[in-house]
Amino acid sequence: MTPPQRQRRDPAPEPPPPQEGEGKVRNPERMYVVAGPDGERAELDLVTLIVARATDPPPSASPEQAAVLRLCAAPLSVAELSAYLHLPYSAMGVLLTELLTAELVQARAPIVRKQRTDRSLLEAVMNGLQRL
Amino acid sequence: MVSVQSPPGRGERPYTRVLLLPAIAMAAATGAAVALVTAPARLAVGWCGGIATVLVIATAAEAVRRGRALRKQRGEHARHSAHLEQRIAAHEHELVRFSREIIPAALQLLSTGESPREVIRKLGLANPEYRDLPAPQAETLLTVLKIVDREVTMRDAAARSFVSVARRVQAIIHQQAEELREMEEDHGRNPEVFDDLLRIDHGNALIGRLADSVSVLGGGRPGRQWPEPVSLYSTLRGAMSRILEYRRIQLSSIAKVSVKGIYVEPVIHAAAELLDNATRYSPPQTKVHVTATEVQTGVCIEIEDGGVNLNEEARARIEGMLEAAKAGVDLQDIGEHPRLGLAVVGRLCTAYNMQVSLRASAYGGVRAILIVPSQMITHEPGVGLAHGIGATGIPMTVGIPEGPKRAPKRRRPTSPKIPATVSLEDDDVPEVTEWTPNGLPQRRSRVKMPLAERLAQQEANEKADREAAERGEYNPWAAVAEPEPKPLRDMSAPDAPGKGLEAFWEGLKQGIEPGTHPTDFIRNPTKYLHLLNDPAPTEADDEGDLK
Repeated sequence: MTPPQRQRRDPAPEPPPPQEGEGKVRNPERMYVVAGPDGERAELDLVTLIVARATDPPPSASPEQAAVLRLCAAPLSVAELSAYLHLPYSAMGVLLTELLTAELVQARAPIVRKQRTDRSLLEAVMNGLQRL
Repeated sequence: MVSVQSPPGRGERPYTRVLLLPAIAMAAATGAAVALVTAPARLAVGWCGGIATVLVIATAAEAVRRGRALRKQRGEHARHSAHLEQRIAAHEHELVRFSREIIPAALQLLSTGESPREVIRKLGLANPEYRDLPAPQAETLLTVLKIVDREVTMRDAAARSFVSVARRVQAIIHQQAEELREMEEDHGRNPEVFDDLLRIDHGNALIGRLADSVSVLGGGRPGRQWPEPVSLYSTLRGAMSRILEYRRIQLSSIAKVSVKGIYVEPVIHAAAELLDNATRYSPPQTKVHVTATEVQTGVCIEIEDGGVNLNEEARARIEGMLEAAKAGVDLQDIGEHPRLGLAVVGRLCTAYNMQVSLRASAYGGVRAILIVPSQMITHEPGVGLAHGIGATGIPMTVGIPEGPKRAPKRRRPTSPKIPATVSLEDDDVPEVTEWTPNGLPQRRSRVKMPLAERLAQQEANEKADREAAERGEYNPWAAVAEPEPKPLRDMSAPDAPGKGLEAFWEGLKQGIEPGTHPTDFIRNPTKYLHLLNDPAPTEADDEGDLK
């Protein structure tokens, strides 16, 4: 006689092994921990240039702040930083404002190309064309 | 069987010997009386004496008989009571065995998941002594087992329904987190919307933790798994993101290790509960310090708050709570535990072999220590630290049902996403945002500042730079200072741009009468047919013509 088999109280079946992700950066942090929703935002434009004042990040800096300081050894625009860090512009604003308050970075409006350069280039082109 | 009968011979003397003495005494008394009394009375006295003797003998015989009957009955009685006592003792023994051996053994078998009848059958197989239980005992055992079985089934069902509800909540939370993530990407340029989305995201994470807690207490597994190792820093920030007052948490000197993917969720959850306790039971203006160091057995995460000091009594109570949780808390007991978090931590610690303890902190508050065993830790770089940055996170769900099938939203992102495939190096491709009325793409500048203002600012910046340079200060902007435009080349120099082309044209014009266009031979080929018959000019001529 075969004993009646019961289903209950069996251990749950083992979940399938995790599959490979679709190439996304996977990590359990949420964005508000990186840049708080109630954080202050300085007047930063997408093209505002950011440069680090200190080369070595302080030990208390978060990885994002350290990354900004590393990237901004040479001036970079906010838009570029936002793309490199995979952080939206709004989050970048909070992050940079914190750094600006801590006086770790400097911000400056972008450099404008002057008309003078354009004019000389145009003249050169014109000269070349006239010679034809 | 013990004999309680009196030894034979003691009470079994023959009647004659027992009756002899009174009969002789009576006969002697009768004889003496007959001898003493006068002759006429002798007959009567003799008769009386004889009758009396006979009566005495008869009485004595009766008494002896009764005595013997009594003794026999007493013996019977003693035997009977001894038998009864023996039976009582045997019953007691049976009962003790039943309660101390059989029922525990049966319950143990039952807890392995057998049905009551199976349990009784297996009990007989395991120990032949248990095979032939008396009918009432067998019946009692069956009844008890059935009752226990039903109760266990009901508890099980209750826990399962809890867990299944929690899993459904988890599924919805998970889906919502994913959508919020997309929305955060979509509206990243819009600070007001973005901040609101972050707030919703935070609330969502809080609900998710509650659902996770119920699931863990119901014996479920964490609903998420991370495909790759996650750095401990990111893991702890993940824990931070699931509590209400995450801003008060301060991570410092976190060991550079990663948590293996399948263990990330338990560590996050346990740490989140401990962080929640720390922030909840300390003043709102104090910070909670978190450090993580590598120790022999793994990684030790220390969470220190500046709250009320834990006296010995409270510590013992909390440790007891943790111990109880480690032993297994039922969902039914939750009501008695106001600190749900510790029950969850205890459960997780048992399931994943982590260790937790609470001590008095140097800050005057409580120091919670969570030791994550080394088999959950890896030294591979985690996903977070590989880039050093990044806060995206979408785990895969395991064992939780799919979220509700909501119609996909037609997204209208207010800020375009940058796909990972696009290289950031060549950003020359114009981004078409609007179209002019005649169908041409128009590139709209996203810079809000008018040009005049920017030029003015530029002047100010340059002035500041010059002043800084005069003062001899370090100027980080010098690297990007506008490069001086190169002076235009001297057009008369032999290597000036366009000189080669000019020489080419000059060459073409050679041999053509002035006034004719250099490419005239294409327009009137017939006019130049004679050139085919002419000998080709020598190389020396060509060389000479170039100069």
